[in-house]
Amino acid sequence: MTPVQERAGTAPVAVPARPARSLRARASRSALALLGLVGFAACLRLADVDPVELVEGLPTIADWLAEAFPPDTSAFGTLLLRAAETVAIAVVGTVFAVLLALPLCVLAARTTTPSGWVRLPVRLFLNGLRGVDAFVFALLFVAAVGLGPFAGVLGIALHTWGSMGKLFAETIEALPPGPLEAAELTGAGRLKTSTFTLLPDVLPSASGIGLYLLEFNIRASTVLGVVGAGGIGQELKNAVDLLAFDRLATILLVILAMVTVVDQVSARLRKALA
Amino acid sequence: MTVLAVSGLSHAYAGIPVLRAVDLSVAAGEVVAVVGPSGAGKTTLFRCLTRLVRPDSGVLAVHGRDLMVLDGAALREARRDLGLVFQSYNLVRRLTALQNVLVGRLADVPTWRVVLRRFPAEEQRLAASCLQQVGLLGHAHTRADRLSGGQQQRVAIARALASRARVVLADEPVASLDPASAAAVLSALRSLATDHGKAVVCSLHQVELVAGFADRVVGLRDGRVVLDVPVREFDADAVRALYGPAGVAEPV
Repeated sequence: MTPVQERAGTAPVAVPARPARSLRARASRSALALLGLVGFAACLRLADVDPVELVEGLPTIADWLAEAFPPDTSAFGTLLLRAAETVAIAVVGTVFAVLLALPLCVLAARTTTPSGWVRLPVRLFLNGLRGVDAFVFALLFVAAVGLGPFAGVLGIALHTWGSMGKLFAETIEALPPGPLEAAELTGAGRLKTSTFTLLPDVLPSASGIGLYLLEFNIRASTVLGVVGAGGIGQELKNAVDLLAFDRLATILLVILAMVTVVDQVSARLRKALA
Repeated sequence: MTVLAVSGLSHAYAGIPVLRAVDLSVAAGEVVAVVGPSGAGKTTLFRCLTRLVRPDSGVLAVHGRDLMVLDGAALREARRDLGLVFQSYNLVRRLTALQNVLVGRLADVPTWRVVLRRFPAEEQRLAASCLQQVGLLGHAHTRADRLSGGQQQRVAIARALASRARVVLADEPVASLDPASAAAVLSALRSLATDHGKAVVCSLHQVELVAGFADRVVGLRDGRVVLDVPVREFDADAVRALYGPAGVAEPV
């Protein structure tokens, strides 16, 4: 006996042969692989992928990199203020999204919705919000409410409302239905049973989701300024427009530092919640 | 006084009959044990009794109201006469024992108080006294998921006691408990009937637990009531007749 068998204390057994794949199954696998290759080739064409252009552009990029050093830190104070504005846009937008998503997620979750006729439109609405990027919403709101961070807040809030509502609903659906069932049999209404028996169990995962989306939104907010919706993106766009690469280097470093700190803090908080 | 009167209750899943014209009546202060082999329809019977499943036909009268013909708000109101104790306890794990008992009072507390978790002092005292009845007042502020299985089930019984239920339905309440915890849970259920006049219907798969707990035994087999006797007549012969000659543990 081999050492393994000795440990297990069993006699060796031949592994049963795996059933052979049929010709049809093999043919359809090959067809699928071919289709994937052709599809990818089409995508390369559509995306105008041209390695020659990349190589030709390399010297320019090298020049810019050379210009970027040493970074220009003259406006460091302003940049920090803009970074804080970026964080503020994300925080306010995410908090608004939480407040908007909480009532809707109860309607969107299969286990708590009053009826499918409510659930379907609510889900469509949330999916619609989720499908439009915060950047696109911000573009619209800049036109509607004017340049500045408030447009960014609205953009973040609307997009995140959709993502959060969907994720919260999935959290509710994953909970065991028993406690809610027990509470509903006492004859109490939906608002009472869901706030009292659902909320305590949903809260830990919901806070985790909230933090994760906040983290995501801070990264997303860094580019909102490009469309005039406030934050450090505004400085980013100015630096690129003026080809001020030394300034750009400082901006990128500030963004990098900000995102790293936020990721670390959020990861710790989420760990503490789990 | 009869508070639960079931007659001709039938239900089928996908055309396969699970309950066939079940009759059952339970009086206030009475404990009825429902026994029978696996697949006899016990769980379906309990789900029908609460209208979690709508039975195909029959009469399901709780305190004189037929739940079969009710829907929506009227059904919700009528269901308040029912208290449920589940095999899996169904407590909110992150709430304390006392808060879980207060779940039984939700219907009578204003919404804003529930949302803010500011229950009136009177309600809290009532919940505390229910916990005391099941011997868990000392654990009032312990989170449910820190309690043992037997303790959690007693909290669930206190929750049923706190509600205004007249009929308490317990589906295999001790199936996953050790003998000592099971005894404590059954004695708490017994006291719901003896001390508080509730009608208790409890399914059990350990027939040896029936004596000293139930007043009456109802045997289900293939979806039919094949036995309905006072507990003293539920002897070894009755067990054999119900479960078949394979012979199951005899009642003590």
